[in-house]
Order: sequence, then C-alpha cells, then structure tokens
Amino acid sequence: MNYPFWDIPHLGSGWVIGLIAIYHVMISQFAVGGGLYLPMAERKAMRMKDRAIADAWMAQLVRHSKFFLILTGVFGTVSGVGIWFAIGLTHPEATSTLIHNFVFGWAIEWVFFIIELTTVAVYYYTWNRIDPRLHLTVGWVYAGASAATLIIINGILTFMLTPGDTWIAVAGTGHEASKFWNAFFNPTYWPSLLLRIGVCTSLAGIWALITSSRIDGDQQPALKTSMVRWSVKWLVPSFVATPFLLAWYLFMVPETQRTLLTLGIDTIAGGTFSTVTRIALIIVITSATIVAVAYYLAWRNPADFNLSHAMAVLLLALIATGSGEYAREMLRKPFVIGRWMYSNGVRVPSIARLNTEGYLAHSNWVWTAPDGAATSSYSRGEAIFRGECGSCHTMYGYRSLLRLMNGRDRAGIRNFVVMLHDDKPDSPYHKFMPPMTGTPQDMDDLTEFLNAKVNPPAPSRPKPLLTAQR
Amino acid sequence: MTTKQLTNSLYGWVDERLGLSEIAAFARLKRVPVHAQSFWYYWGGISLFLFLVQCFTGILLLVYYRPGAEAYESVRQITFVMHFGWLIRSAHSWSANLMLFAIFVHMFSVYFMKAYRSPREFGWFSGMALLAIATVFGFSGYLLPMDELSYFATKVGLEIPNAVPFIGPAIATMLRGGAEVTEFTVQRFFALHVVVLPALFLPLLGFHLWLVQKHGNALPPSEEAKHPSDRKSIAFMPGFLVKDLAMWLISLNVLALLASVFPWSLGKQFDALAPAPLGIHPEWYFMSPFEMLKILGTVLPGEMGEIAGLLLFTLGILLWLLIPFYDRNKESGRRARTAHYFGILAVILLLTTTALGYWTIRQ
Repeated sequence: MNYPFWDIPHLGSGWVIGLIAIYHVMISQFAVGGGLYLPMAERKAMRMKDRAIADAWMAQLVRHSKFFLILTGVFGTVSGVGIWFAIGLTHPEATSTLIHNFVFGWAIEWVFFIIELTTVAVYYYTWNRIDPRLHLTVGWVYAGASAATLIIINGILTFMLTPGDTWIAVAGTGHEASKFWNAFFNPTYWPSLLLRIGVCTSLAGIWALITSSRIDGDQQPALKTSMVRWSVKWLVPSFVATPFLLAWYLFMVPETQRTLLTLGIDTIAGGTFSTVTRIALIIVITSATIVAVAYYLAWRNPADFNLSHAMAVLLLALIATGSGEYAREMLRKPFVIGRWMYSNGVRVPSIARLNTEGYLAHSNWVWTAPDGAATSSYSRGEAIFRGECGSCHTMYGYRSLLRLMNGRDRAGIRNFVVMLHDDKPDSPYHKFMPPMTGTPQDMDDLTEFLNAKVNPPAPSRPKPLLTAQR
Repeated sequence: MTTKQLTNSLYGWVDERLGLSEIAAFARLKRVPVHAQSFWYYWGGISLFLFLVQCFTGILLLVYYRPGAEAYESVRQITFVMHFGWLIRSAHSWSANLMLFAIFVHMFSVYFMKAYRSPREFGWFSGMALLAIATVFGFSGYLLPMDELSYFATKVGLEIPNAVPFIGPAIATMLRGGAEVTEFTVQRFFALHVVVLPALFLPLLGFHLWLVQKHGNALPPSEEAKHPSDRKSIAFMPGFLVKDLAMWLISLNVLALLASVFPWSLGKQFDALAPAPLGIHPEWYFMSPFEMLKILGTVLPGEMGEIAGLLLFTLGILLWLLIPFYDRNKESGRRARTAHYFGILAVILLLTTTALGYWTIRQ
C-alpha cells in the first residue's frame, strides 16, 4: 500500500468523512437548489402587480440571500475543503484513483466553484445597486454554475458505485482516463442526478422556511403567508418523483450490491433487514414526515410558523439526508470503487499477489526494524489490522473488533480470519466485507494481535506499536 | 343513502349518547398561549406519546415473554427468532429512555416557567409522582431480560434500598423475593412492571391530564407581566393539536431511527456464580444519585456515609417537591429568585454528577 494509515480511535476514520460529508451535503445541495430559488423568487417578485407586496418580497430576498451567502460561501466552502482533507487521509488510494481518472472533471468543477463564489457575492452586494434585470441575470449565472457543479460531482460519486464495464475493462492498464466519459456517464448517473436535483430543490425550500419563519406574522401577515407557502411548494416535486427515481436507481445498481438490501449485515433476527435497508426505510419515514409536518405547520398555519417549527423540519431533513448518504455508502460495500477497489484500499487484481508475497511487503509506510531485524508477530498484526480493518472498524469504539470478536478464543479468532481470507462465495461476509489478504504468516500475525486484545493476559500491559524481536 | 349521510347519521347517533359535540366545542374554545417559550409546552405531549408507544410495544412483548426461569430464553427468542421481535424490543427500550428524557425536560421546563405556582400545585405533585413511577418502570423493566448486565445492575441497584436504616433490608428482601436476585425476583419485577405500576400510573396520568385541562397552560413570568391584551394565544383545536401531533410524528422519527439503527442488544445469560463484569453501572437516569452517594461515601466512609447520603438526597428531593409552598407569589421577589437559583443548581448537579459517573466508569 502506497500511503500511511490514518488511525482515528473510537470514532473511526469513516465517521470523520461521514460527519463532515453530511454537514456539507446539507449546505452544498442548498447551494444548488437555493441558487435556483433566488432568481425564481426574484423574477416572481418583479412580475407582481401589487408593488407593496413585491417590495416586501424583495426585502425578504435580500435577507435570505445574505443568509445564503454566509451559509454556502463560508460553511459550505470550508466543509467542502474538509472533505478533501478527510478522504485524502482516510482513503488515499481511492482518492488517488479519482484524481487520476477525473483530473479534467475536477478542473472543470473548480472553475464552476470559482464562478459560483464570485456570482453569489456579486448577487448579494449588488441588490438595488445595478439594473434589476442585470441583477437577475447574475442570479441565473449563479444558478447555472451551481447546477454544473452538481452535474460534475454526480458523475464522480456514481462512478464509485457503478464504474461500468468499459472502464473496468481498462482499469489498471494506465489508460483509465481514456474512458473518462464511460466512467462519468455510468449506469447510475441519470437516476442519481435527478434524485439529487430533487433533494436540492427540497433543501432550497426547507432552508427558505428558516428565513421565512423569522418574518413577523403579526406585522407582515401577507408577506409571511406567501413566502412560507411558496417555499413549501419547493418540496413537492421531489416528494412526488422520489419513489420512482429511487426504484430506477436501484434497478441500475448491480445485482451483487442490491442483495445487500436483503442481507442482514448486523444479522440480528428473523424478519430483520440489513442496515442499509433499515436506513433506507428511515429515509422513507422521515421524508413522509417532512411532507406532513410542512403541510400542517407551514402550509396550513403560515402566520404562526416560527423558527422552532422550521428547525424541526430542518432536523428531519438532516436525518433524511444523513440516512441517504449513509445508505449510498453502505450500498457500495465491500468496495470503495465498485469491482475495482475494496473499502480497505486493496485493488481487486492485487489480491493474488498480496496472498503470495504478503500484505506488509507492499505496505511502504510500515516501519521496519533497522538492520533487517524481524518485527514481532504482534506488531505486524497491528500494522495489518490498521491497513486491512481500520477503514471500517475500530478496536474499542465504532464497529469495535473487541466486541465483535468477544467470546472467541485464539483458535476461534484464527478460524474467523481464515474464513475472511478464503472469502468463499457462500460466506455470509463475502457480500459486504473485503477478503483478508496476505500469507498464512499474515493471518497468524493478525490473529496474534486480535487475540492479545480480546483475551489479554492478566495483568494486561499495553504493548508498543512496533518492536524489534530480541 | 350516501356515504356522507350515513357518516352524519352515525355521528349523530354516537353524539347523542356520548356528547362528542360538546367535547369538540370545548376543545375549540380552549386557548393555548403563544410566546417565546412555547416550545417547552410540547414536552408533556411528547412524554405521553412515548408512553403510548411503550404500552403498544409492551403488549406485543407480553405475548412472547415468559417471566421466571425462562426469562432469558424468551427474550433471546424475541430478539433473534421472532419476526421483527428485535424491532419491537428496541422500540420499547428506546421509547422508555426517551420518555424519561422527555419527562425530565418537561419537569425542568415546568419548574423554570414557575408552572407549579397556585393553582397548579397538584399538577406539580402528580407530575413528580409520575416521574418517580416512570423510573421504577425503568428499573423493573431493566431486569426482565435477565442477561449479565441487567442481573448485576439490579443487584447493585437493590443495595440502595438495602442501605435504608431499619426497614431497608426488609424492603430489599421483599423486592428480591429472597436473599439473592433470582428468577423469583424476575417474577416479582414482572408483576410490578405490567400490573402494579400501570395500575398506579394510569389513574395518576388521567388526574394529571385533567388538571392540565382544568387550569390550562401556565404562563412564564415574562408573559404574566404583560397586559392580557398583549398576550397571544391559539385555539387548542385545531391549531395547537396539529402542532402537538407534528411533534409526535417527529418523536416517532427519532425513535424509528434509534430503534432500527441501534437495536437494543442482549448480553450473555446471567451467571450468579460469575464475577460481576467490569464497569457495571446503573442506567443514566440513576447515574446522578449513584455518583452522589459514591462521592459522599468517600467523604464519610462506612455506614455513616450511606445514611448521610440517603438523608441528604431525600432532603433534596423533598425541597424540590415542596417548592410550590415556598415560591408562591406571582411577583418576581426574593423567593422566586432563590427558587430559580435552586433549579439551576439542580440542573448543574444532575449534569455534572452524571458526566462524572460515566467518566469514572471509563477509567
């Protein structure tokens, strides 16, 4: 492996990405949907016959665009950069593949980011300072640029789930970039794009409800009613289309991944669903709740709609968005790039070589003792644990191996490691876990390390990371 | 006869006998205040909703649960064999915890809004009694799976009544059904959990809700200071009811998320001869008194410490309970301020000792 391992105890590196990503998605998709909301609302206000209400709309849009500028331009941008740092440290192999394969895609993406950031600033600071039609045009330019960022990033994200047969055929040959468009317009591209557009418009409405809730319903009942109701309408297209788009999306997902929906990952009981299915059901429940809550609290009682109500809708949207992103990640298991790279960064074609030459033989950043002295089995096992298990598991916290291995003795742990190594098609772990790669010695080393943790000798003493054997 | 005519006629028949129109008219007339602290009004309703969830899931669990020697095996079957048994059990356990959390929030919001003042004293007392029963619900329900953790936690928990001078050991023996926690204890806790406690809780809940209807929602001092014409309110039906139901729906979402993503686990079957597992601790809602007693035990070691701790704790609860008799005036005088500071102290004490409890367990 070409990069060092980033060890995040208890939380796990996956959650570092997850927490930043969920936060970022809530804002970045608002940046796209809200980019459409603002010029459409402005155009609507310009066409209003009643000038008093039109002026009130414009004043409210100035406030909303300030909120929009700060949220997307500051928090959205910072969290976006945060994702780059997080994925670069957590999944360096996968990040490297994405950069090499989509180098021009990223370049175009960043051009649109610059246009986006520039136009949103111009849009806010030129309210009532330039010709209204020109101001509206700036808004449309922003909308176009932000939509383009979605169009591009969607190709890269869906590629990770379904890279497509054409790209897989050239993967590893050094000519991957020649199949850029095949990889970009991969099987799940279109349903995913339409789904995300729906989410973006919904989030535009939900975030607009936040600013609309701040309008004083006693002082400006007409403005509040019209603003709140217009914002609620932005939720409708997505909620009508989502069930059909979701079905289309799942239809395009390979059968091997779709079976994850019926497999009990946490295998807990009869009649259970896998984690990804349970999460998917949460999305359905929460989305239905958003519709009901938005209808009863906002549409039916717009004048009484306050910040607490708007925050409740936002919280539900956060649950739905977080669940959606988590489900999408889970559906990719056991890969980080479908059929090409496992979630621990091991490339599918490398398995045979690693099984012959050893996992650590290709781990360039693992410390080796000076003068070629042998490292201890425990230390090698720890390095293998970090490399092969650490992407998804921690020792003591999230998906704790201590808990998962609890009750097994040394022989039991060894059998489990061998089962993961053999990765037989009928193994229950085959569908969602990468195989354990390495030589029999690697399996012994990993067993040694896990056994020392699960069944510590009394009194237990912490051991150093890597120690030369004497 | 059209469907509408049929519905109207059916409604008329029922209305004539039960007086539904009068109830609807009353609900339409009833007003709920609207102000900056209105958000806290929903927590009583959320507690009620979570209690209803527990009744529903509890009845379903009752179909398969077998108290006594087979307790663990029946919970194992519910969790791993019955279709969706894991979900029902998880929803039951999570809703119990969420309900206690909601009741705590409700209690503190009532306290800081001074809603215990005349004429709402009985509302405060009945609410406190409901909280006390809810914690006993939690304690008795915790043992029912009879896994390693619940067994030892109950064993430790029963040491608290055991420490009460004179009558303590007798109470603890009665609760245990002997000198040790055994299947007889499960039998007793089961009876307590599904018969005795509901028989106490339900009429008290009815009384509490009737008082809320009778006296209406209390205004916080900042609203009371305003002229009546400056106060805002909405009709209970449909305005507040719709919002209340929306909060129920949001609570259901939170519950669904927790129950399905973090299913309630089942540990190993208890072994009375095995040593207690490391880090055994009470549930979070008992962690604060547990930690306070522990701290006092280090200051005053031995029996004296236990007795002093219990006395101090009982005194604190009594002061909290009797606050309506101390802080009675509507004006924001010295007593009102003292009560307010006492409330802040209670919150800080509760949070810090709970955090400290979990922190010391981790060490």
